[in-house]
Amino acid sequence: MLLKAPRRKLLGRQGLIGCGGLFAIVAIALYGLALPDEAGRERVAEPYAAPRAGLPLGSDDLGRDLLDQLVVGAGTSLSLAFIVAAATTLLAAVIGGAAGIGPRWLSVTLMRGADVLLILPELILYILAAAFLGQSFGVRTAILALILWPVPARVLRAGVLTAWSRGHLEVSRAMGAPAWWLLARHGTYLIGPLLIPVFVRTAKVAIVYDATLSFLGLGDPTSPSWGTTLYWVQTNGVFLSDAWLWWALPPGAAIMLTVLCLALIGVAVEERLNPALREAVR
Amino acid sequence: MTAVPAVRRGYPRYLAGRLAEYLTVLLVALTLNFALPRALPGGPLKLFGSPEALARLTADERAQIATEYGFGRPLHEQFLDYLTGVFTLDLGTSLTDGRPVTQALADALPWTLLLVGTSTVVTAALGVTLGVAGALRRRRGKGSGLLGAAVVADSIPQFWLGMLLIVLFGVKLQVLPTYGVSGPDGTTVGGVLQHLVLPVTTLTVTGMGYLFLYTRSSLLTVLTSEPVQHAHARGVPYGRLVRRHALRPALLPVHTILMLEIGFLAAGAIVVETVFAYPGLGRLTFDAITARDYPLMQGAFLVLTVLVVVMNALADATYPLLDPRARTGGHS
Repeated sequence: MLLKAPRRKLLGRQGLIGCGGLFAIVAIALYGLALPDEAGRERVAEPYAAPRAGLPLGSDDLGRDLLDQLVVGAGTSLSLAFIVAAATTLLAAVIGGAAGIGPRWLSVTLMRGADVLLILPELILYILAAAFLGQSFGVRTAILALILWPVPARVLRAGVLTAWSRGHLEVSRAMGAPAWWLLARHGTYLIGPLLIPVFVRTAKVAIVYDATLSFLGLGDPTSPSWGTTLYWVQTNGVFLSDAWLWWALPPGAAIMLTVLCLALIGVAVEERLNPALREAVR
Repeated sequence: MTAVPAVRRGYPRYLAGRLAEYLTVLLVALTLNFALPRALPGGPLKLFGSPEALARLTADERAQIATEYGFGRPLHEQFLDYLTGVFTLDLGTSLTDGRPVTQALADALPWTLLLVGTSTVVTAALGVTLGVAGALRRRRGKGSGLLGAAVVADSIPQFWLGMLLIVLFGVKLQVLPTYGVSGPDGTTVGGVLQHLVLPVTTLTVTGMGYLFLYTRSSLLTVLTSEPVQHAHARGVPYGRLVRRHALRPALLPVHTILMLEIGFLAAGAIVVETVFAYPGLGRLTFDAITARDYPLMQGAFLVLTVLVVVMNALADATYPLLDPRARTGGHS
C-alpha cells in the first residue's frame, strides 16, 4: 500500500488572507492609476465638507475629494513599493551573488560596504537625500533602492553560500562545471525562492518609509498620497473636530492594511521555506 | 586545548578587530557628513538655505561664514578643519537661531535618551516575555492570538498610531498631555512622566511586534535543535529544558537585535517627536532639514550615526560575555 505524504498547502490560511487582501488593494490601485490626472488634486466641493452622497469621505481644507486622494494614493504607494522592491531585489541579488561566488577581495569589499550603509540610519538618510535631491517619484524610488539593498544582499549572500555547498553542486564542480553554468542550471530553484521574502519585505519597508517622508511634509506636494493626506491632517489640527473620522482614519488604515497583507504573505512564505518553524515541537 | 587561555587570547583580539571596524565606519560617516553639502546641486552657497534665510544674513555674517567654512580652499584642508571641529566639539552655529550647534544638540539629546531609553525598556520587557510565551504556546489559542496581534501591531504606521492616541486620550478623554514635555506649571518630574506616556506607548506598540516575532522564531529554532532534543530525550523536565537549555541560546540574537534597535530608535524617534512636538534629537534633525539649517543638520546626523555605532560596538563587546562560543571563534 502506498503511503501518501500529507499535502502541504501552498501558503496556508494567513498567506491566502494576505494574498486576497493584496489583490484587492492592487485592484484599487490600478483603478487609481487609471483616474484622470486632476482626481484628488482639484477642488470639487466646499472646504471641510462632511461625507455625503457622491462625496463618501468628504473633502479636505482645499475642497479636494478625499476618496479620490485615497485611491490615487494607493496607486502611488503600491507602484513605488513594487518598483523599489524589484530594483532592490535585483541589486541585492547581483551584489549578494557576487559576494557569494566572486573572489574573496570582491566579497570583502562588497560586504564591508554593506556594513557601513547598515550603520547609517535608513530613515534619516532617506529624509536627507529626498530633502536635497528632490521629491519626484523617480528620485524617491532610486534613493530607496540605493538605501535598502544591504540587508537583502546579506541574506542572499548567505543563501548563495549555502546553496553552493550543496552535495550535487560540489559533484558538478568536481566534474568541471563552470560557475556560470551552475548558476544557470541550479541557481533558479536554489536561490529563486529566497527572492520572494526579500521582495515582500522590501515592499513593506518602502511603503512605510515613503509614507513617513510624505507625512513629515517632504513628499511630492503635487501628487496625492496616503502620507501627504495625513500631513495635512497634522498641519490643520483635524483632531479637534470629528473630521478625523473620514480624514485621518482611512489613509492610515490603508497603509496598515497594505503592510499587514505583505507581512502575512512574508510570514507564510518564510514558514514554508524554513521547515524548522513549521515542524517545531509544541 | 583548554578554554581559559583561549578566552584570554580571544577576547581582546576580538575587541581590537571590532574596534578597528567601527573606527572605519565612523570615518566613513564623517566623510559622508563632510561631503554632503559639497555634493549638493547648486554649490556650497545653497547650504545656507532658503533664499529668505540667505537674505537675512548681513554682509558681515556672510563673510564670517565664508571664512569659517573656508570654501574655496583646497578640499583636504577643509576636511582637516572639519575633523578638528568635530573632535573639539565645535560644530559651528545654527543658522536659524544662532545657537552653537553643540549647545542645541546637548539640549535635545537628554530628551531623546529619556524617550528612547524608557520605550526600549518597556518594549524589551513586553516583547521578549510575550515572544517566549508565544513560542511555548505555539499550537494553542493564546499563542496564535499573540502572533496575530504582533503582526498587526508591527504594521501600524507610527505617526498614525500617535495621531489616534492624541485623538483618544488628548481630545476625547482629555486625560493625557499630547504636546511637548512640560505643562503650564514648569518642568516637574510628574509632568515629564505624564508627557512621556503617549510617545512611549506609540514607540512600544509599534516596536514590540518585531521583537516578539524575533524572540518567538529564535526560541522555536532552538527548541528543535539537536542539543535540546537530546536533553528532552534524556528526560529533562520541560520547565528546566526551557529555562536552562533553550532560553539562553535563544535570547542571544535577541540581545544583539535589541542593542541595534536602541541606536536606530533614536533616529526613528523623528516621527514620534514630530507628532508629539517632543523637543528631542529627531525633532531637531527634522527642523534642521526643513529649514536647511546646514550646520545643525550635519551635527544632528553625526550624533545619530555615532549613537548607532556606539550601540553596535556595545552589542559586539557584550556578546562574547554572554556567548562563550564567540570568545574562541567557534573552536573550543
